[in-house]
Amino acid sequence: MSSHLTILGIETSCDETAAAVVVRDEAGQGTILGDVVLSQLDEHSAYGGVVPEIAARAHVEALDDLIRQALAKANMTLADIDAIAATSGPGLIGGLIVGLMTGKAIARATAKPLYAVNHLEGHALTARLTDKLDFPYLMLLVSGGHTQLVLVRGVGEYERWGTTIDDALGEAFDKTAKLLGLPYPGGPAVERAAASGNADRFSFPRPLVGEKRLDFSFSGLKTAVRQAAQSIAPVSRQDVADICASFQKAVSRTLQDRIGRGLERFRQEFPDVSQPALVVAGGVAANKVLRATLQELCDRNRFRFVAPPLALCTDNAAMIAWAGLERMAAGLAADELSVSPRSRWPLDADAAAILGSGKRGAKA
Amino acid sequence: MRVPTMILLAIDTSGSGCFAAIHDSAGDVTLGMAGEDIGRGHAERLMDFIDQALANAGIEMGAVDRIAVTVGPGSFTGIRVGVAAARGLSLALGVPSVGISTLAAIAAGYRQGRPTSPVFVAMDAKRGEAYCQAFSADGAPIGEAAVLSLDEAKAAAHAAGGAIVGSASVLLGAGDEGGAGAAVAIDAVARLGVLADPRADRPKPLYLRGPDAKPQAGFAIARA
Repeated sequence: MSSHLTILGIETSCDETAAAVVVRDEAGQGTILGDVVLSQLDEHSAYGGVVPEIAARAHVEALDDLIRQALAKANMTLADIDAIAATSGPGLIGGLIVGLMTGKAIARATAKPLYAVNHLEGHALTARLTDKLDFPYLMLLVSGGHTQLVLVRGVGEYERWGTTIDDALGEAFDKTAKLLGLPYPGGPAVERAAASGNADRFSFPRPLVGEKRLDFSFSGLKTAVRQAAQSIAPVSRQDVADICASFQKAVSRTLQDRIGRGLERFRQEFPDVSQPALVVAGGVAANKVLRATLQELCDRNRFRFVAPPLALCTDNAAMIAWAGLERMAAGLAADELSVSPRSRWPLDADAAAILGSGKRGAKA
Repeated sequence: MRVPTMILLAIDTSGSGCFAAIHDSAGDVTLGMAGEDIGRGHAERLMDFIDQALANAGIEMGAVDRIAVTVGPGSFTGIRVGVAAARGLSLALGVPSVGISTLAAIAAGYRQGRPTSPVFVAMDAKRGEAYCQAFSADGAPIGEAAVLSLDEAKAAAHAAGGAIVGSASVLLGAGDEGGAGAAVAIDAVARLGVLADPRADRPKPLYLRGPDAKPQAGFAIARA
């Protein structure tokens, strides 16, 4: 039904500048030919989090070279490319502007179509690139900016089943790390410390556990961690390890409950899907304890657990290129060069706003 | 000075205006331009203004030999819209892109009708400061561009002599003569772009201010 297509992907929505060249053959099989990511970790580490203006400054000076590198790795020139896909939201507006304007300029100069891609759609469709997954399936996105459980029905057809009502899970890890004096990014640091800790020493709250709706909440957990640490300050190395282990356990239990309900709902809504699947994406997916929790949960519910390679779980441009390819192959229209970058852009446009609904629209 | 022959695309998105122009250096003429003072929405409008400028000039994008873009000082976001577009066009067309300082463009615009006039350019940087640079009677910049308090800027302008122009000129006590060169003129960007060295670095934003972030400290709990 579709032809052989090649797309240049661009991703600049947070603190990774990335470019990739991906092809999709007639049978729908995708192959990554060139994929480069420049992390700005060092620029932001002193601040304990991503500073939007610093990120935007780094993107604009790095992106064109990364595109050259991705093309060189693919052994291609822009003449070999059928279209350009650039993340246009959601994310930090300064970075989005850089990636989208670069994409618009290349599209205009080469007279090729531009696909303004939703970053979340990139994460949602990655498992079809890596594991040829068929629709429908469930996707759990857990990163520094997002915590969402999404039903992926088809290209452009998404239903958000749950989202965080306050902090993202990765943010909760970062804030816990910062409080305990551990380095940024907090995810790996908390996981390392937790390895030698007693997970039963502190009983942290498991927000929304038992509630029917599938949303998440992590700000109360963050407060409980702070109060626990304050109550025993000054904290020893072992205290830190125990807090981290207990924190991870609380998160683990929360995910078990929330995602478990999600899997049940999927079964009810799609009784005919013989091999249902849960796909995980986002940087938090690197956490081995949480990964084991999800694996076990899937095993128990007879779901296939799909965790793409970490480089494709965290922010990258191959997933943006792939989302563009899927849209193109599905016959969806390309975007006008007047398309706006959007700091807020829920994947499921019909979902009611849960967090923030000012003029920029729902945050989540 | 021998002026190289080229068709140049000039872009300015550094302030509330959003402009594009096609310049023919052989005749020192602007073949076509487009743009407006739009306030915001540069990311949405720029490509259309570039298309209009090309259409007005009767030129295809493929005929462009060089791209010039204003790199600031000015709106951080606006600068990045223009610089990202210029670098993307440069990459895709395989032609050089050059960065032009807004202060130099304002000085050049003012000197267009007064070629032997030294000039002190001062742009309103808000927060009681101005982006400043002095240019000599032959148009060369004197020292680096800097962000100065209004008092420092007044003193620097006095020391430099010549007319004070730019959006902060009235704040520095200059009269109406500053109005003539208050804003970046796209044809001035084009002319400077023709003369710029294409082997120099690619266009890079000239912010003159840091990113306004402070490392966090004192947040962590006491360690034993």
